[in-house]
Amino acid sequence: LPTPPARLPYVPHVPPMALLGKVTATTFALERPRCVFDGHADASDAVWLAVAFANASATFRNPRSRADVPPYKQLPTARSYMTLETAAAAYSCSAQSPPVLRVGSDTACRDQGRQDPCNGPLPSPGPYRVKFLLMGCRGPKAETRWSEPILLRRAVSPGTIDPAPTRRGSDVVVIASILASLGAVLATAVLGALGAKVWGSLCRQDLGTDAFTRRSYRTHHISPALPQPLPPGCRCSPPGLCRSSPQPPAPC
Amino acid sequence: MAKSDDYVHILQGLLVFGNVVIGMCGIALTAECIYFVSNPHGLYPLLKATENNDIYAAAWIGIFVGLALFALSILGIIGVIKASRTLLLVYIILMLITFAFEMASCITAATHRDSLTPSVFLKQMLERYQKSEPASNSDKELTKTWDELMLQNHCCGVLGPSDWQEYTSAFRLTHNDADYPWPRKCCVLDAQGLPVNLDGCKLGVPGYYNSNGCYGAISGPVNTHAWGVAWFGFAILCWTFCVLLGTMFYWSGIEY
Repeated sequence: LPTPPARLPYVPHVPPMALLGKVTATTFALERPRCVFDGHADASDAVWLAVAFANASATFRNPRSRADVPPYKQLPTARSYMTLETAAAAYSCSAQSPPVLRVGSDTACRDQGRQDPCNGPLPSPGPYRVKFLLMGCRGPKAETRWSEPILLRRAVSPGTIDPAPTRRGSDVVVIASILASLGAVLATAVLGALGAKVWGSLCRQDLGTDAFTRRSYRTHHISPALPQPLPPGCRCSPPGLCRSSPQPPAPC
Repeated sequence: MAKSDDYVHILQGLLVFGNVVIGMCGIALTAECIYFVSNPHGLYPLLKATENNDIYAAAWIGIFVGLALFALSILGIIGVIKASRTLLLVYIILMLITFAFEMASCITAATHRDSLTPSVFLKQMLERYQKSEPASNSDKELTKTWDELMLQNHCCGVLGPSDWQEYTSAFRLTHNDADYPWPRKCCVLDAQGLPVNLDGCKLGVPGYYNSNGCYGAISGPVNTHAWGVAWFGFAILCWTFCVLLGTMFYWSGIEY
């Protein structure tokens, strides 16, 4: 009877630093466990990641050998799978490796359906729980604890976006009201001025009370009075004036 | 009386000055509106796609109103100097018509600027960016505009790359989430146009992707455009109002 695997106290978790893509709709990232398996791992051992639906993690049974490892494509039926087979040396204290592991990043193996351990994208938002499993030649040697449930992102339809503006800007109200009043004043003034002129010319009244009204007076040219010619035949002139008339004098 | 003559000359001088200012402002309005209509920031396809490019209509009206103001100001100057009732009456009526058009342009520009919220651009981007068949010409224009916008301004999405994660989109239909949490244009690109660090970009490691949204780059020019048309037009109209009142006063006092 093989010895049960050692339970390590490490809890896998999503990295705490600010990474925008650490949880997406089909992938999530995990902080790489460092120095966790030292003391339990040999050079030939491999560390696997077991991923299970959160409500199926309690019923997960460690595989007895590498041949029993549940593959990626059985996730919908078996509710769990194992992936990310890595040499134990990659998780040792002295390893220089990226601090983050990404689960679900390999789209090629999903499409081609290979039998190798496939780190394919997760088909549903979950939630999922993960644990690391150190597998030796004779079976699992050590395991970490299950992580907290990891819920993936769920995208909503853009039809839920309401494009209407939240409030009418005050600028529009100011511009519209002031312009409308200016326009109304102008229209009233023009109509008023035209109406007053029409009224004035109809009634022929003198509207000269306006201080500005200028009536220019055309100066009439009054010619000096010409001497009126005497009517023919009237010779009633004071003595001495009509002396050049040859006609006989007639009564006035 | 000599004093009344002085008042008349002062009024004439003021009206001529007022008309000179209107003429110059008309030219400035025309120049400004031509600049906006020439689409200097390449945002016209985005506005056209919102079916709400009345800001461009307002700018087009502004071009013609500016030219009309310039022509009418010359007419006004001639009318004031010659003290001709007919010319000034024609001037007043045509100015009122121009006033009405410019009023429409200002209010249109101001109102439609208000309706260009981030949600409008977000919804449009999600529904049409990288839309696969059937994609209309305006969809392709929109995709090209967004790509250039994101490339030149080093921005991503409307509010940020998480736009692509929070909502499903036309982009998501053709690009799976694991390989393309957001478009490649959101990654920091090298001289050849390839991402500097593709895994870093997919994970969202700061420095390998553009984390800020493009809404600032869109709303900046659109705001300048709308407020340039609306507020400058408003200022011109206030000045024109005073000049028109003075002209009507002068007209009513001219001898027959």
